[in-house]
Amino acid sequence: MWAVFKKELKTYFLSPIGYIAIGIFMVVYSVFFYLTTIMSGSVDMGNLYYATARYGLLLIVPLLTMRMFSEERKNGTEQLLLTSPRSVTSIVLGKFSAAVVVILITLILSIIYSVIISFFGNINIPTIIATMLGFLLVAMAAISIGMLASSITENQIISAIITFLLLVAPWFLVDISDIFSSINLMDQFMRFPYGLISISDVISLVSITIMCILITIVLIKRRKAVK
Amino acid sequence: MIQVRNVTKKYGSTIAVNDISFDVKDGEIVGFLGPNGAGKSTTMNMITGFIEPTKGQIIINGNDISKRPRKAKKEIGYMPENVPLYYELTAKEFVSYMAELKLVKRSERKKEVEKVLKETGLLDVQNKLIRNLSRGYKQRVSLAGALIGNPDVIILDEPTVGLDPKQITEIRELIKELGKKHTVILSTHILSEVSQICEKVIIINKGRIIAIDTPENLEKATKEKNGISVIVEDPKGNMKKLKEKIKEIDSVDFVKDNEDGTKQYVITTSSDIDLRKKLFEVLPKEEIVIFELKKTETTLEDAFIKLIDTTKIEDTTDKKKKAKKDKKVKETSKSESKEDAKKESEDKSNKKTEKNSKKEEKK
Repeated sequence: MWAVFKKELKTYFLSPIGYIAIGIFMVVYSVFFYLTTIMSGSVDMGNLYYATARYGLLLIVPLLTMRMFSEERKNGTEQLLLTSPRSVTSIVLGKFSAAVVVILITLILSIIYSVIISFFGNINIPTIIATMLGFLLVAMAAISIGMLASSITENQIISAIITFLLLVAPWFLVDISDIFSSINLMDQFMRFPYGLISISDVISLVSITIMCILITIVLIKRRKAVK
Repeated sequence: MIQVRNVTKKYGSTIAVNDISFDVKDGEIVGFLGPNGAGKSTTMNMITGFIEPTKGQIIINGNDISKRPRKAKKEIGYMPENVPLYYELTAKEFVSYMAELKLVKRSERKKEVEKVLKETGLLDVQNKLIRNLSRGYKQRVSLAGALIGNPDVIILDEPTVGLDPKQITEIRELIKELGKKHTVILSTHILSEVSQICEKVIIINKGRIIAIDTPENLEKATKEKNGISVIVEDPKGNMKKLKEKIKEIDSVDFVKDNEDGTKQYVITTSSDIDLRKKLFEVLPKEEIVIFELKKTETTLEDAFIKLIDTTKIEDTTDKKKKAKKDKKVKETSKSESKEDAKKESEDKSNKKTEKNSKKEEKK
């Protein structure tokens, strides 16, 4: 897992993708920083993270996940991976954790804004930590969904579009029936910005992540038999 | 040691590889030959564990590739078709990454990478991005990826495609060198390559093995008749009468007139007779001047084409037989189905009567 993780993380920053992802995050985060805190004179960072998660991840996650398996499949490099003694599980986890680390980097960068605000008012540090934890969990779930999309097509664009749709669709499906709120990542994130770490939210986000990772592993293993 | 046992691969209803079995002993260089779409790459992909066989077993040094993949895959270095590489990495980075994937120990990694880069002649370009390397160097990088970790078995899928003649000879030399320490399986459709490098040839067509032998034996096997090509000056036209003078000759065939007035003929005899000495004695007596006299040689190419053609003929006869059989089967099945229908209706009526009787009992 370590080998794949290192190489993947390096690739993010050898290509512009890593920088673009961080750049988009910072732009979206800054815009909402202006709208939610400065414009309204509020020290509530929770709303800021919520809005960034809602719109920022929608752009960043497809960018990070689209090439994961699609590119390997198209270039044939998956032959190198799958004929190596490494297990499919360790390859999938390596790729997944590399993308998560890119998100972690953005989160660390976002702390700067909290520091700035702390000069002008009292910020609630535990709430911010809870929100950041929620943000990370949502991002992980979104990445696992994107990874799954990437493992079913060898076209990066199609992979990105599928990821985008899978992330957006629940917003509207919730209007049809409440059942869909369980797959709507934003509904699971809603309570974190109030400093509320609800076990049910954590469990459902983590289980979405684990489920998507498992499906990805199964799909890749299955392709070996079908291909 | 590679053991392939009754391996079949199906893609839906098409059969890519059909029940093949063969062994590759330690230290052998084996050539995999076959026309495009014969199942060469599929077989190699199955040996390396990239795809799973529908049926059958592949055992590498005693480890089944499906059951103990980690151990089996560690013994294999694979250079896939079309040399897939990570273009954003440098040659050295790529080889180090492959070393990590291949479970080379951290303490030995640096040394091992250096050694392989040297072996494949990549030291000069090790810090260049693979993207910017020429085709020949890309091929070497891919080969380096296969060699890292010192695997027992090296599998090369068309290693010399797209190289210039000099690079081809270099890669061939390298493969020969590898054959001294490793077991090598390579696929190709360049036949001269096989006769130069390989000790054993497996010819495969339409998913089936049609021959396993040494290149020399395959060449011999296709040789039915001895041919002698002669270029002569024959002013009196005595060549036509030659068959009467030497009884062993099967035929004398005229090939062409040369510009200098000489003529070329091919003289064929059965394979156990060598007529060269006799021709040298007889022709001058007939006032025929010999300019050139040589044995015509059969090549692996002839063997290959002949074997492929014979499978084609077998296939068509098989199909005809099958069609006939199918017809018969259909006819019998028709009569059977009629009988079945009768039986079914009888059964139904029986059941009905049973039900009726039960109802009556209830009443």
